[in-house]
Amino acid sequence: MSARPPQSGPPEDMLPQARAPQGGRLARAALSLYPAAWRARYGEEVHALLDDSGTDLRTVASLAGQAVPAWVWPARHLYDRPARMRASLATVLVAWTALAGLALVFGQLTQAQGFRPAGHPIVAWSYWVFDGAVLVSVLAAAAGGAPLWLLMLRRALREHRGRDIAYLLAPVVVPVGYLATLVVTLGLVRHPHGAGPWWFLAFVVGGFAAGGLFAAGPGLALRRLSPRGPAVGLAIRAAAVAAAAMGLAGAASIVAAVGLYLWAPSYAGYHQGWPLGIYLPMVALAAAVAAVSAGRGIRASRSAAAA
Amino acid sequence: MTDRLDRWADPPLLVLASLAGEPKHGYAITQDVADTMGVRLSAGTLYAVISRLESRGLIEPLESEDRRRPYRLTAAGAHALAVQSERMNQVAFVARERLRAHYGLAGA
Repeated sequence: MSARPPQSGPPEDMLPQARAPQGGRLARAALSLYPAAWRARYGEEVHALLDDSGTDLRTVASLAGQAVPAWVWPARHLYDRPARMRASLATVLVAWTALAGLALVFGQLTQAQGFRPAGHPIVAWSYWVFDGAVLVSVLAAAAGGAPLWLLMLRRALREHRGRDIAYLLAPVVVPVGYLATLVVTLGLVRHPHGAGPWWFLAFVVGGFAAGGLFAAGPGLALRRLSPRGPAVGLAIRAAAVAAAAMGLAGAASIVAAVGLYLWAPSYAGYHQGWPLGIYLPMVALAAAVAAVSAGRGIRASRSAAAA
Repeated sequence: MTDRLDRWADPPLLVLASLAGEPKHGYAITQDVADTMGVRLSAGTLYAVISRLESRGLIEPLESEDRRRPYRLTAAGAHALAVQSERMNQVAFVARERLRAHYGLAGA
């Protein structure tokens, strides 16, 4: 087929008479919502189209609206597949860590208080599902992530890459450091009625900061070492299982928390709805990010296997 | 209500049909689709479709002219368009037959 290039723009008399600089700025802002790879490939063309056709609110809304599927279902031809898998893996790890942190907070505020079913079997079942799902999730993450972690660690040791070794050791060193700090602090501040709500809040915030470091270490190592091969595929599949199980644990914890709110209003402040109002969207957001990223990673690994 | 069934038009099909004529860049595609098929494609929809079709190998980009990159149909895109057009023909035939039989719309 011969490629006969079309005219490069609209005739002068067809150019839109009134350009709205405001609309142009909005359209450019909407374009900035797209993934970098998408913008690098299509950004200039879209700008040219907007210059030719003018910009109105419908255009801005359509650009902004289509940014969501561009993130959720990224076009395969725009990405290097192994890089897509690594990026998805790092994102799932962050979301999984957030879910694990939320699960720990839930466990601390319910099961660790010696509080058992509040006279309702749904709460008891939710506890069982929660415990089982967390266990499955941790085992899947450990079993699927260990080969990739060892692969990267071996390479970092062989090539004397000190920074990467530090990043890779973060999942071991950070939790140990956090727990040691926790134990020491509790020893110093403990009084007959426990550490108190403010200390608890400080431990939670510190725990999420530690979780951030825990997840960031391997994520940075993935980016710097760019591992390839079956270990990455195994890790992304295990990450999907771990994220799904942790999502299930999150759902069970929400059912239990709602159950406590409904059936144990006198216990430990569960008559107040606001903690649920914070907990529920955080679990939902982290689970959604984990699910979307795991799906993208698995799609990329299938494409890579098929290629 | 007469109306805006075009809002359910299938944008990938419109773009493929537009490119079946000759290679076109984004603005030319929107103009052609509006002029010949009566549907206005917005920039967001158009480039979402272009990205999807390119990803599936149904269209391919040509050398960029200025900032405007033309696209053309690939062999796979032509085949997909032919299959879809045949299906639409069949739907149109059935619709016309039934409109004639049940509503007396001979010119339908």
